[in-house]
Amino acid sequence: MSKDKIMIVIPAYNEEENIKKVLDELKKDFKEADILVINDSSKDNTKNVVENENVKCITLPYNLKYARAVQTGIKYAYYHDYDYVIQFDADGQHIASEAKKLLKTMKENNDDIVIGSRYLNDLGYPCPFFRRVGTKFFELLIRLFCHKKIADPLSGFQCLNKDVMCRYSKVFGYPEYPDANLIIEMLIEGYKIEEVPVKMRLRENGESMHGGIIKPIKYMIEMFYTIIIIMIKNIGVKKVKKHE
Amino acid sequence: MNNYYFIILSIVFILYIIHNIRRNDFTIKESFFWTIGCFVMMILSIFPKSIDFLAKKIGVSYPPSLLFVICIIYLLYICFKCSKRIAINEEKIVALTQEVAILKEQANEKEKRK
Repeated sequence: MSKDKIMIVIPAYNEEENIKKVLDELKKDFKEADILVINDSSKDNTKNVVENENVKCITLPYNLKYARAVQTGIKYAYYHDYDYVIQFDADGQHIASEAKKLLKTMKENNDDIVIGSRYLNDLGYPCPFFRRVGTKFFELLIRLFCHKKIADPLSGFQCLNKDVMCRYSKVFGYPEYPDANLIIEMLIEGYKIEEVPVKMRLRENGESMHGGIIKPIKYMIEMFYTIIIIMIKNIGVKKVKKHE
Repeated sequence: MNNYYFIILSIVFILYIIHNIRRNDFTIKESFFWTIGCFVMMILSIFPKSIDFLAKKIGVSYPPSLLFVICIIYLLYICFKCSKRIAINEEKIVALTQEVAILKEQANEKEKRK
C-alpha cells in the first residue's frame, strides 16, 4: 500500500514573529507531512522567513483574508493529489503533535472532517466570556439543526480528506468565516464530521482576526444570517455527498 | 411645455449611452435596461395622460406617486442586478487570484529544480 500524502496548510498574514517557531516545530514533530505556507500578501517579512525555512510557499497577489488563503492551500493539495490536508494556524496556537491525533482519528474512523476541539474535554484552554457564549450559541444551533454535538465549531484546527478537499476547492462563495456555517452545510450534505480533544496554546504575538468589539458582533450577526440562509437553501436536500 | 424638457433629456441620455458604447466604455448588453428606461421616460413625456390612465386602472388616487413607485422599483431592480454581478465577479477574481498564485509557485518550483 502506498504511503498517504499529507499536507499541512498554514495561512499566514503578518506572522514573521511566530511562523519560524511553528515551522520548526512541525518539521520536528510531524516529519511525514509536507508543509505549505500561504503568505496572504503580508506586509512584514513573513515571505522571506518562510522561504529561508525551505518549505513550499504560495504568495497571494493581494490579501484574500484567512478563509480564501486556506482555500488556496486546499486547492493546491487537491490539484497535487494529496490524501489529507491539515489546517494549521501560523500564530503558534496549534501544536504539531496534536495534528497527528486528528490524522489518526480520521484514518481510524474513516471521517471526512476531524476538528481539533478545545472544549470537548476541559484541557485547560482559557476562553474569554464572549467567545464562550458565541461558541455555546453555535454549538446549540448545530445540535438543533443537525442533531450533532460539535463543542468547538470555531476551531480552525481541522483535518480534511480528499472528498472534502474536492468540495471546498469547487465551492462557489466560500464563506469569509468557515466555521459553524460550513459545518452545518457539510453535515446536511452527509459528510462525516468528528471532534477530537486537543491542547492549544494561547497566541503569543500579533493580533487575532476576531479582536475588538465591533468585529465579534459583526461576526455573530453574519454567521447567524448565513446559517439561516443555509437552512432555508437546504430544505428538502437529502444527505448525499453532492460531488459523488 | 415641461414635457419637451423630458423628451430632450431622454434623447440626450440615449445619445450619451451610444457615445459610451462607441468609446468602448460600456457594452451593448449592459446598456439595454438604461435605454429601455429612457424610452419609457420619452413615451411618458409624449403621452403624459397615460400615467393618469394607468393610475386610474390600478386605483392609485395620486398619479405622480405611481410614477415614483415605478421609477423606484426599476432602479432597485437595476441596483440588485449590479450587486449580483459584483458578487459573481468578486468570486471569479478570487478564483483567478488563487490559480495565479498556485501556478506561480509551481513555476518557481520548476525553476529551482533546474
